[in-house]
Amino acid sequence: MALRILVVEDEMTIALMMEEMLTDLGHVVVELPMRLAPALAAAQTAAIDFAFLDINLDGVKSYPVAEVLRDRGIPFVFATGYGASGVDPAFADRRVLQKPFDRAELAAEIARLGQPPHTDHTPCSYRP
Amino acid sequence: MEFEAGAPLDRFSQIVAGQDWVASPLGPPEQWSPSLRTTAEILLRSQAQIILFWGPEFVAIYNAAYMPTIGDKHPRALGRPARENWAELWDDLEPLLEGVRRSGQAFSAKDRPFYLERHGYGETVYFDVSYSAVPEADGSVGGVLCIVSETTERVLAQRRLAESETRFRALVNASSDVIYRMGPDWSEMLALDGRGLLADTAAPRQGWLDTYILPGDQDMIRNATRDAIQAMVPFQLEHRVIQKDGSIGWTSSRAVPILDDAGQVIEWFGAASDVTVRRQASEHLQLVVHELNHRVKNSLAMVQAIAAQTFRNIADPEATHDAQARFAARLGALAQANDLLTGERWTGASLAAAIGLAIEPFRRDLDCFTLDGPEIQISSKTALALTLAFHELAANAVKYGALSDDRGRIAIAWSRYDGDDGPRVRLEWREADGPPVTLPQQRGFGSRLIERGLAGELNGTVELRFPPDGVRCLIDAPLPTEADD
Repeated sequence: MALRILVVEDEMTIALMMEEMLTDLGHVVVELPMRLAPALAAAQTAAIDFAFLDINLDGVKSYPVAEVLRDRGIPFVFATGYGASGVDPAFADRRVLQKPFDRAELAAEIARLGQPPHTDHTPCSYRP
Repeated sequence: MEFEAGAPLDRFSQIVAGQDWVASPLGPPEQWSPSLRTTAEILLRSQAQIILFWGPEFVAIYNAAYMPTIGDKHPRALGRPARENWAELWDDLEPLLEGVRRSGQAFSAKDRPFYLERHGYGETVYFDVSYSAVPEADGSVGGVLCIVSETTERVLAQRRLAESETRFRALVNASSDVIYRMGPDWSEMLALDGRGLLADTAAPRQGWLDTYILPGDQDMIRNATRDAIQAMVPFQLEHRVIQKDGSIGWTSSRAVPILDDAGQVIEWFGAASDVTVRRQASEHLQLVVHELNHRVKNSLAMVQAIAAQTFRNIADPEATHDAQARFAARLGALAQANDLLTGERWTGASLAAAIGLAIEPFRRDLDCFTLDGPEIQISSKTALALTLAFHELAANAVKYGALSDDRGRIAIAWSRYDGDDGPRVRLEWREADGPPVTLPQQRGFGSRLIERGLAGELNGTVELRFPPDGVRCLIDAPLPTEADD
């Protein structure tokens, strides 16, 4: 099933790679915002099924975007170089993808769709 | 010389009795005046240090108690004129004795210094002295009675104590440390010299913890002092303090117990140095290490992303070789951008510097690139993205565009203008005088990075055009405002 996915990632090389990986997996990256304002706009208006959310957007935290996604009931996971310890306690129940990650890890996150996010608290670990 | 019956005759008195007084200017005791005899008998019986200088020549008669104060002058000094045996200080002594003898007035002094040779060398010694006239029957002055008490040891001890006190004060003043004194059980602070860092405590008082220590730290301090008291070891602790201005600082504090003769603690004496700057530096270092860790991981993720896209869908060996060269060049651009930003301590960089860095490896001669535009400061991330994007533009120009022959040139120009939502920048990359441009058959990673990646990074628009007279790249983006930083 092709999903419409929002990727919020402030590092353009990584954003492009994620877009390519997700495209290879058969999904559509509908928006690729790299800063808070366009990310917030996309989260509020775009028709999306899933989102990957970088936490630090050029020094600005992306939690307002997370709040919008949560309120809309859109599943999402964080993707960050800081690891799970860097996540705001308000979103402690969300999964955190540790950079760098590969295509299989992206696919695994999407495959969890349908499971309520709070049923699985185990952090996903980086596989070397 | 005879003594009254029953009076104890010590050895020295026997010496006096056995002295060859015929050779003395005083003659034998039988011929002495009643006044001299009486005075001599009194001093010989006395336990005090006494010497009598008799007659105009100040002939010396002294007792056993006095003997140690003149060392090797005894026994030759006994019964001899003072000048013979006190030659080294005669200039000092004679006026004193002569003054008493002539005036009849007593002379006394405390800790009076005298230069004396009594053990084969000269030394300054100290005496409490009382010189008084001894009258003859006719009222004239027969001699000078000197009752003395040597105080040399006490004077030197006091002097050493004063010097020690002076050195201690100098030490305290030379140090910038806070100095404090605490009662035996630390419940009372006796005094604290805050050195401008902490509030001073001039008089003993309880409740000092509330003045100097945050409520949350007070138990820790109590425990540390209790341990020091129980084990009778120096108190030593690095802890936070409330400074005089109300701010929070750090001190490294150490106090030692001062004991009385019975081994009981009289007080604790301590010094505390201000280590606030070091603690802050240490905390800052923690932050830097944490941030560095993030950057390293981010860089690895970028390298992974660049590799994944550079080596995507490669079939033949020649293309692999080409891709490897591109990958190395892209990592080179990334490393260069890191150098630029490290030089600026990752606070940002200028637009011109970021572009200049990207094109530098492709600069064939001085004229092939021109850069023209105002100084614009951009964030570290934007600088990194611009360097990577312009690296792709330049690499493409060398391979397919204006720099693929030796006549082409590239003009990079930008200007600032006011948009609806604030200041913006418009930038154009314009290739000219190269071979005719043909539309590329497929768009690679470089094109995506420029058009989609850079556009997202700048939150603006980036457009690549391929007119026959030269490739163009048009960028339009908002300029960062203070609020974005």
